[in-house]
Amino acid sequence: MSRRELDLEAALADLATALEFPPTPDLAGAVGARLEQAPARAPAPARPARRLRWPAGWRRLAAVGLAAVLLAAAVLVASPGTREAVARRLGLRGIGVQIGGPPPPTVTTTPGARLDLGLGDQVTLEEARRRVGFPVLVPAGLGQPDRVFVDEAVPAGGRVDLVYRARPGLPASPFTDVGALITQFQGQPTPEFLKKVTRMGVVEAVTVGGEPGYWFSGEPHFFTYIDAAGEFREEQTRLAGNTLIWQRGDLTLRLEGELPKEEAIRIAESMR
Amino acid sequence: MEGRPLDEQELVEQARGGDARAYEALVRRYQDLAFRTAFVIAGGSADAEDAAQEGFVKAWYALPRFRAGSPFRPWLLAIVANEARNRRRSGRRQDDLAVRVAEDRPSGDAAPSPEAAALATEQRRLLLAAMGRLGETDRQVIACRYFLELSEAEMAAALGCRPGTVKSRLSRALDRLRAVLAEPGGAMAAAPDAGLPGGGDR
Repeated sequence: MSRRELDLEAALADLATALEFPPTPDLAGAVGARLEQAPARAPAPARPARRLRWPAGWRRLAAVGLAAVLLAAAVLVASPGTREAVARRLGLRGIGVQIGGPPPPTVTTTPGARLDLGLGDQVTLEEARRRVGFPVLVPAGLGQPDRVFVDEAVPAGGRVDLVYRARPGLPASPFTDVGALITQFQGQPTPEFLKKVTRMGVVEAVTVGGEPGYWFSGEPHFFTYIDAAGEFREEQTRLAGNTLIWQRGDLTLRLEGELPKEEAIRIAESMR
Repeated sequence: MEGRPLDEQELVEQARGGDARAYEALVRRYQDLAFRTAFVIAGGSADAEDAAQEGFVKAWYALPRFRAGSPFRPWLLAIVANEARNRRRSGRRQDDLAVRVAEDRPSGDAAPSPEAAALATEQRRLLLAAMGRLGETDRQVIACRYFLELSEAEMAAALGCRPGTVKSRLSRALDRLRAVLAEPGGAMAAAPDAGLPGGGDR
């Protein structure tokens, strides 16, 4: 081997000592969580079910259901390492995001019940304000909501959902007649909301009124949550389109709708 | 590290028997290697994460077919690299690796002068930039050998080629790298947009 060859090899070895790969993600936690919720390995290698041929609209729904809850359980309970990693990724109270992995193959829910999204008691805005322990905000940019739902029990401190019917400038979600859904609750260290973004979804850090937020777009995602008693609960077929999650003081807010990012942020910043 | 091969074999055996905790330990042990190999092949950190995670899950299901006693690393790398290749987007620019600016000499060496440190950093950047001008195959084989320090068997697994061809592939890639470096201004021309710190897609 020539001296020049050795020189180049030495230079490459030297380069390697100064090279920085992107930080390795917590694969052990993520893989552990996926194995927890996967079927036990049979002697003959079992693979997660391949994509089923659902009708087009349903294919996009492939992320809901019991499997989601099991996944949440696996992530939050069985794998504290992942739980920390999840919490670290998003700096928002009460929100965790798990990214990666194919959508769970099981769909156990039925299509969304139009405007009634199974959000709790339907009440007036005033009634909702009486029943929860935080000031309920309304986006000036959208005006008064068409429906208001309140759930005092979960998460602790209660939760309010504002529903806006689709209208010009507020396109309907592919799954319901809803144009926009705004959820607000006081973020708690626990229970955490868990939001899963399927593999191709995109998460982008944004600023909403000077406070941190995240914009989710691309493939659909879904919510499950764990209540104060540690029970897993599944939110009804509330398949999000594009979603903005942000913080305002100790409130955590979420806006779902088929909206472009700038429009979503504009609405979010108009919350009074 | 002493006793490491035994540890690994025990973990692999337990994982083969269905012990998910043992497998998680294996994942923890090899996640850096798997992620970086996937990064070299897929060319981006998001795809690399995806490929490595999927590869580990597939390897779990494939473990019953793993031949007891054979080396685990090449077997795992073959699965992960295959996932990474499937995610590689054609025509996509490789995310840049960063070169640490500050000198990071092993303790014991005399600290270099600031001038020498700057020069060393610059030379490394030029070399990395020159690599960026190589074809995908050449870049990958060099990265596998020198950046990931893979064995020949592991390189063959990661690159999806026969072990017998690894040496000649590497030698040809080094020839071409030398040619790029010899081009007048060749390495310099690539310097502004390649190999600068702060690369990556996160």
